[in-house]
Amino acid sequence: MRELVARYLSQSISRRGFLKGLTQAGLSVAAAQSILQSLDQVAHAQEARRAAPEGVKLFQGKGAEAFAEQLIASGVKYVFGNSASEDAHFYDALVDRPQLKYVLTPHEGPGAAMAAGYVKASGEPAIVMQAGFVGLANAIGQMFNAFKEQTPLVFYSYRTDQTRRSGRDGFEEVANQEQVVQPITKYSWLARRADMIPETVRRAFKAAWTAPYGPAYASWHADMNDENVRTEIIAHEKVDPRTRVRPNPKEVERAAKLLVEAKTPVMIVGDELYKAKAVDKAVKLAELLGMSVTQVRQMFANFPESHPLWVGTIPSSRVDSLTYPKDADVVINVGNKLQHNTPAPIVARSAKFIDLRNDNWSMGNVITTEAPLFADVAYGLDDLIAAVEGVMTPALRAKAKERADETRKFTEQARVLRAQIVKNPDWNASPLLADRLTYEVAQFAEKDAIVVHEAGSIGFHSFNFNPLGGRELFFYYGAHLGSGVGTAAGVKLARPNQQVICLVGDGSFIFGPTALWNMARLELPVITIVYNNHAYSGPHSRAINNSPGGRMVQTGKFMHDYLGNPDMNMASIAKGFGVDGEVVAAPGQLKEALARAKRATQDGKPYLIDAQVRRTGVGWADAPWTPPIRIAQERTRKV
Amino acid sequence: MSFLRLLLPLFVFTVLSAFTAVKAAEQSQPLPDGPGKDLLMSKCFQCHSEGMWKDQRLDRRGWEAALYRMIGRGALWTEDEINTMASYLGTALPPREAKASK
Repeated sequence: MRELVARYLSQSISRRGFLKGLTQAGLSVAAAQSILQSLDQVAHAQEARRAAPEGVKLFQGKGAEAFAEQLIASGVKYVFGNSASEDAHFYDALVDRPQLKYVLTPHEGPGAAMAAGYVKASGEPAIVMQAGFVGLANAIGQMFNAFKEQTPLVFYSYRTDQTRRSGRDGFEEVANQEQVVQPITKYSWLARRADMIPETVRRAFKAAWTAPYGPAYASWHADMNDENVRTEIIAHEKVDPRTRVRPNPKEVERAAKLLVEAKTPVMIVGDELYKAKAVDKAVKLAELLGMSVTQVRQMFANFPESHPLWVGTIPSSRVDSLTYPKDADVVINVGNKLQHNTPAPIVARSAKFIDLRNDNWSMGNVITTEAPLFADVAYGLDDLIAAVEGVMTPALRAKAKERADETRKFTEQARVLRAQIVKNPDWNASPLLADRLTYEVAQFAEKDAIVVHEAGSIGFHSFNFNPLGGRELFFYYGAHLGSGVGTAAGVKLARPNQQVICLVGDGSFIFGPTALWNMARLELPVITIVYNNHAYSGPHSRAINNSPGGRMVQTGKFMHDYLGNPDMNMASIAKGFGVDGEVVAAPGQLKEALARAKRATQDGKPYLIDAQVRRTGVGWADAPWTPPIRIAQERTRKV
Repeated sequence: MSFLRLLLPLFVFTVLSAFTAVKAAEQSQPLPDGPGKDLLMSKCFQCHSEGMWKDQRLDRRGWEAALYRMIGRGALWTEDEINTMASYLGTALPPREAKASK
């Protein structure tokens, strides 16, 4: 018994283990509990005497309270969740912890998108919780987006089955729940004991927020939330490995030499720049070398688009598809994940390639690399700029200036050519051209507006994004649809003093409109604009591209893409969620609607415009064919 | 049921088969030569497959609108280039009814 007491006081066995030991030694349960109670007082006194190091707190209470305490210590302010009866003790814990704010989201998908939007716009941690596996299943789509987009979002859901009855195919039970999400998380773990809840949670935050970022998942049996625990709560800074690393100096020298000796260097920029707040350093390196700058698909705009060295985004997944410059001989990538959608590498083998990123797992997978710079992009650019400045000669500076002057001529001409978009003969048409809608919104948007964009099949232009204090872009990379409205709500929660405009296709919108209700409830004045052509335009065009001249085109029978008949009214849907809105179809109506949207948001209210846009592209009929599934003829009873 | 009504499905099937055969044949035909073809090949085929182009049938104005829509997707073309390509496409890939009536 003496040994048992010593082990309990040194925290090497649990309360349950201690009680079990005593009863096995012959004591009655009542006697064992009495001893435990008196020992708890001793343990408390011991803990009070023991000076906890800074950032480490000893906690005694319910498992759910320990969960809440660890969230606070991990820096969480907002908890995004959907109603879950087995989290009752956590909700109890929130009542007396007002610093943790619970945002009820009516569906786990848009709820997770909202949490991700908040994380992306604030740079602060958040957690999104679901009810057991059934809720998790709804959130997995946005977990996939967070994985692809490298967003550090932590997910939690309990196991519905309890510790003493798991594995019996109980209600909502799925065996190995935490393993279901393993391929799309950086860390997924089931806490084995209630006192390990805080450790599991802080490891999830550590994994998510260690570069390269990504989602993490924590879980435990529901009854652990109600179990009494003694455990440590540890601040995030005490476990954060702070993986902001500098690049290998030899590789920096090699990269600097390649860049200054290049005839036509090109820089690809990516999201690590935005996340590291290092866009200004990328501008400095580009200007130092007179180097053209471009980007392939990312979430953010990572370079000022009005800068004379910005040559536009890569049109066709390969650097050599750029109109200018041609024949790049050295390409440096700064923080772009380089999503390959074609067999050909984005950077041709003929160019020498420098890769500066914090994601060494994917470096060198497709593109051969002369100088790998595994580093935080801000530190990497600091070192590279210093190295380039060290080897620049007057002759090299003159060459860089000459190159910059040539690029400026191109970008000025490109600006003029892009402005021709208004010459489209259908410019004043009704329903609206999608380009006209985009153009008018770009004229309307504030100078520092944040544009959340989930209208993937439209051409995107006219905004002149500038992450250095101008307009910012939040696009998507993961493409699990239904993220736009939720993301916009989360962005507005994080940045209440910037105009937030959500541009979303009708197909995407209908996957996740429930976050409109959050906008109304939380008074998040977002302007949502739906490009409503009553169709999945992207899948329509891509299907024809995959099967040109096929049976669909021959017959006009497209099974998969027409969303009309009946047409959906997104403004009516918005009103159902408490958000005012209207339907517009003509350019004149649009301007008036935008003015009303502005007034609404100035008054703190969200607003939605359902903009009717024309279907354009191959094979669309005015009244598209729909599969002849009509049940009316099969009905024999009027019920 | 009349004899004509019996024949109707066969007639519809025959017409549709002929129509789809024409469409399939169109896919295998090379684009005709003409002013603007070289420009089109150099400007558009870096992003689009030829097969998809041939499925699109528009008059000149329709092609002009389609080309202007590409500006919003990053195309950098002058007005003259757009006009040349629109004229070529309006002739080479006109609406099916218009071509059939010639």
